[in-house]
Amino acid sequence: MAKKKRFGVSQALTRGLTETINVVENNAGIFRNTVLPLSRIELDPENPRKLAIDLLDIRQGIQATDPWVSQKQEELERLKELAATIASTGVINPIVVYKRGDIYRVVAGERRCLASVLAGKQEIDARVFNEKPKGFDLKLVQWVENTARDDLSLDERLDNIRDLIKEYCVQYGDVPITATLLKDITSLSLPQATYYLTVLNAPDDVKTLIKDGTLRSLDKAALIASITAPAVRQEAITACIEGYSLKQLRSIVTKNKILTTKKVIVPNVKRRGRTSTRVNMGYTANPKVVKQLIDAVLLQERYKKYVATFNSVNWDYLDQATKAFRQLIDILELEQVG
Amino acid sequence: MKVIAFLNNKGGVGKTTCSRLMAEYLSKVKRIPTLGIDFDPQCNFSHQYLSMEIDPAAPEGLMPPLHPDYNPHDPDDADWDGRSSIAEIFYGQGVIPYPTYVENLDFAPGHAERLLAAEAVRKSEVVDKVHRQLTGFLSSPDVCEAYQAVVIDTAPSKGPLTVSVMKAATHIVIPSVMEEQPVQGIYGMLQLWMQESLTREKSNPLTLIGILPNMFKQTRLHKDILKSLQDNAAIGKYILPIKLCQRIVFAEIDAEEATPRSIFDFPDHHVARCEALEVCEHLAERILNHG
Ligand SMILES: Nc1ncnc2c1ncn2[C@@H]1O[C@H](COP(=O)(O)OP(=O)(O)O)[C@@H](O)[C@H]1O
Ligand SMILES: [Mg+2]
Repeated sequence: MAKKKRFGVSQALTRGLTETINVVENNAGIFRNTVLPLSRIELDPENPRKLAIDLLDIRQGIQATDPWVSQKQEELERLKELAATIASTGVINPIVVYKRGDIYRVVAGERRCLASVLAGKQEIDARVFNEKPKGFDLKLVQWVENTARDDLSLDERLDNIRDLIKEYCVQYGDVPITATLLKDITSLSLPQATYYLTVLNAPDDVKTLIKDGTLRSLDKAALIASITAPAVRQEAITACIEGYSLKQLRSIVTKNKILTTKKVIVPNVKRRGRTSTRVNMGYTANPKVVKQLIDAVLLQERYKKYVATFNSVNWDYLDQATKAFRQLIDILELEQVG
Repeated sequence: MKVIAFLNNKGGVGKTTCSRLMAEYLSKVKRIPTLGIDFDPQCNFSHQYLSMEIDPAAPEGLMPPLHPDYNPHDPDDADWDGRSSIAEIFYGQGVIPYPTYVENLDFAPGHAERLLAAEAVRKSEVVDKVHRQLTGFLSSPDVCEAYQAVVIDTAPSKGPLTVSVMKAATHIVIPSVMEEQPVQGIYGMLQLWMQESLTREKSNPLTLIGILPNMFKQTRLHKDILKSLQDNAAIGKYILPIKLCQRIVFAEIDAEEATPRSIFDFPDHHVARCEALEVCEHLAERILNHG
């Protein structure tokens, strides 16, 4: 007998209803979206950004005696571009502020504020929190905002991540920060999170180059930071400064064959005193090299009995050569060559 | 002053029927000075209380009748055409509510053409203005002094008119038939509720009283859909514990010649009256006693 049909609400609709209700329940009363007069907005001195220019410079002009005058001029030029789009289309995302008495302090969106004032606007779309977001949430909002920007240096990005991790530990306890955890809290991709962690743990020479702006790309910095041998790292750094592409840098590393795997993000220093427990036999792209080695060994009297073991190996295949080489090592260890 | 609105962007789900029950319950049964507002260009709610007239400017549309206080010979009324709809708020004019045959109930009727004009607005600055007008009107001292409750019927839309109601309301109810299409309308309204909720101060929330099952029939379709909504962790708590069943009387009292005209004038034990009373009592309890 056929079952009676059950009716229901489609899965997509159920999900939509659920999500909408959750958004309201989790957020209503915590912040509100509104329009604020720019005159009531102040910048947050603790924001991880490093803009020299402030609201006063925009309103009254940059003073010639200002020690930062040239940097501020440069920043002003860049803000003018943003101001032009704001003048024609307004700000696309609301800025994020929290209430401090009569004033609203910017959590995220200083450039949009500065550019809006520059564009002659009186008001700005804002998301208003009733109180200052807690340490980690604040850094997270700033992080999310900052990821959308392309004018942050790698150094600034790293500062943000470092702050974020610090606040995370303050709020949630001193847990070890893995790439997966970083990925979860920032919604970075796993490779990106891994890169950031690698670079945060970079050797000092790499850190210096990031600080002074020589190293500006995350993936290159991560690649270089993961090279443990100082000499090779130096070679890669020099190449990077000369403008090598990521691919070219990778080939330097492959050439030197000392690229450590992902899980060896342990800083250099810690490895220094450790005693090695085995010998790395190296790598080769040419299986014939293995054949030559094995042939040489099999020529010796005591290894003749193993010749048959290697009869069926096809030396055109890397995996067969690898297997054969491992067998050779086993044999050599077994026979206790000294 | 409590402002309660019935919303669903699907038509024929009972917005007007519920608005009417609630307006009459608050005014007639609870004796609370109440203002009914018709924000639907179709003007069905208005037609329950006033003899709406055909608008010569827009033959398919209705407009309010002459106001009983209008006197063409009075110099004070010289600049007035004698009609007053809620749509005047979009034209910078005062709204003069009409008295109705229901005790304690005044009414600000719709005006098809003018409401449609407001609904059609798309330019962002103008849309913004439309959004704010109803809130402005309802917070004026005259209105606050005269009424303790406002009941608003809305158009089956997600446009500027509906958004203005969301902005002006303190409480909303989403009537729905337990069928796929009207449930989609619930989703549309929840989205507007979300948008509006995220602009409100904590002290002034927009309370979603809940989803009111209407025209309920003991069919598998209705029972299954109701159950699947009730069983959902997030949605379940917004499905009201009361409902209106499909009853011919609810449709019959729409007619102008119906007697009695109000469901609350039916005999005490009448099943439809009892049901309406139970629903309205529940809603009023939520509105009047819980903030
Ligand atoms: N519970 C009910 N039982 C029977 N008829 C109903 C019921 N609720 C509404 N109706 C009728 O259904 C039609 C649509 O209802 P209405 O309230 O006008 O819906 P909406 O305002 O959402 O378009 C009307 O004719 C109304 O009289
Ligand atoms: Mg209706």
